[in-house]
Amino acid sequence: MTELPETPSAAETRLAELEKRRAWAEQLGGEDAIQRHHARGRLTIRERIDGLIDKNSFHEIGKLTGNGTYDENNAVVNVLPAPYVMGLAEIDGRPVAVGGEDFTVRGGTSWGSRRRKGGQGGFVEDLAHEYRIPLVNLIDGAGGTVTSLKSRGYSVFPGVSGFERSVELLGEVPVVAAVMGTAAGGPAGRAILSHFSIMIEGTSQVFAAGPPVVKRSLGQEIDKDDLGGVKIAVETSGTIHNAATDEADAFRQIRRFLSYMPQNVWELPPRTSTDDPVDRGDEGLHTIIPEKRTRAYDMRKLIGMVADRDSLFEIQPSYGKAVITMLARMDGYPVGIIANNPMIYGGAMDAKAARKQIHFMELCDNFNIPVIFLVDVPGFMVGLAAEKDGALREGMRAVYTAGNMRVPTFTLVIRKCYGMAGMATCNKNGLDMKVAWPSAEWGSLPIEGGVAAAFRREIAAADDPQAKEKEIEADLRPFASAFRTAEAFEVEDIIDPVETRPFFCKFVALAYTRMKMSLGPQSRCGVQP
Amino acid sequence: MARMEVKSEVTGTVWKIEKAVGDKVAEYDDIMILESMKMEIPAPAPADGTVVEIMVAEGVAVEEGQVLAIVET
Repeated sequence: MTELPETPSAAETRLAELEKRRAWAEQLGGEDAIQRHHARGRLTIRERIDGLIDKNSFHEIGKLTGNGTYDENNAVVNVLPAPYVMGLAEIDGRPVAVGGEDFTVRGGTSWGSRRRKGGQGGFVEDLAHEYRIPLVNLIDGAGGTVTSLKSRGYSVFPGVSGFERSVELLGEVPVVAAVMGTAAGGPAGRAILSHFSIMIEGTSQVFAAGPPVVKRSLGQEIDKDDLGGVKIAVETSGTIHNAATDEADAFRQIRRFLSYMPQNVWELPPRTSTDDPVDRGDEGLHTIIPEKRTRAYDMRKLIGMVADRDSLFEIQPSYGKAVITMLARMDGYPVGIIANNPMIYGGAMDAKAARKQIHFMELCDNFNIPVIFLVDVPGFMVGLAAEKDGALREGMRAVYTAGNMRVPTFTLVIRKCYGMAGMATCNKNGLDMKVAWPSAEWGSLPIEGGVAAAFRREIAAADDPQAKEKEIEADLRPFASAFRTAEAFEVEDIIDPVETRPFFCKFVALAYTRMKMSLGPQSRCGVQP
Repeated sequence: MARMEVKSEVTGTVWKIEKAVGDKVAEYDDIMILESMKMEIPAPAPADGTVVEIMVAEGVAVEEGQVLAIVET
């Protein structure tokens, strides 16, 4: 009996084709395109996803999507992958939806198909929405392109397949956007529709439109880094929250940010174990506040003494520096710390600081992260520049946002707490504790300026007006003592600085128990001032 | 040996210079004190090292971001 030559069965042929198609997807835009991309100091989207997620945790979705070419017998010759790679993955063992443009295929421009893998209204957003898991967008695309106009046959209307889902996600699950390359238009917008955004020093830029459009519209010649690099987008405009030194640093920061976040608004943030004792009372807290009340000090150092060791992650460290916003942990429980920074104009709140604080308060409120205010604020920033920037309106928006927060808040007055900016540091709804250090002082305005204004005539009429002003100040100062306010029970307590950490740990733990009863999405009403 | 810049965080004036060129400093040591918004704002050493250059004098106006001194580590 002669053996028949082995021919692959139909099933085997189909499996082989599946393998071939998967391999094409792995090749992205081809070797040359990948080399050019690497030469710009950038990783491919597959390398980026690998760099971000837990090892071997990527479950790709839509891998076979692309533009196929076929021979005269309808056999597939090649498939150019769609310029977007996405799927499910894990970060620290927790599922996330992750995706990003593939710059090596047509510069990551949006793809002609009716159904999208990523970008505005893409499937990756549906994944995050349906499974209530965080979304990480690794953005590296130029957005829309007029080249698809002809093939499509019509021009798309802005907002059809727009940002509807992106907007919805902001109330449901943590959304992180990383601008990995140059993002203009839609992709730039998507970066901002996030809870935390990051870009890379030197290699990424973000703007409404890039240099060619700027030149055409305004006749301005400007380099893309000068228009939308870290200096502008992070440090000046606050368009993007944090800067990373390189792509690996961006991935580290994204993982770090997500470690404080719950998977969605229906869950509590995850508690981690810590070996930092709850009753650790750092003696340095007794000496950190200078005796001289006009001398500034390092608030970050103070925060480090109070929070769990190595638990700090600062959001927007280089923008709106009069206020410090940090994610941290107290006995392993995630908290948001909002602290005034006396090193920056005495901590006076300007428009940028207010904007930064508003975003951070909303972030914490949305994701059930209790807020700790460390207060040393002399008031809103004054002067012509501040008025032009709208410091007063932005500051009042901070007051409004603080007043609307539902998450438990704790206020500790370190030194100054004056006026309306002081009101933005606490939420008087519910049982929100306000305590102070013995160094605290407060009021509707500081005695110094207040006396000069209220006793103007009396001071002017005196033989020695300066001495009169000093005399009235000295007369009033004892009444400004924090202890008198505590007598009146307007603050709940005054604590020894070394009791700060135990105090917060105790009440934050209580807050976590309480929050279990009020989880879920928040309906917002009212009009921001 | 790295040269680290000590920059002003604020626009204001130099009130008091506390260290001189050649002085050894530890991280957080105040090199000088600025005055802005009626507050004394320290400009601390960014790391342990030696002050090798001081670019400003007491009483002069400084801009936010201006380099005030150099510390060599």
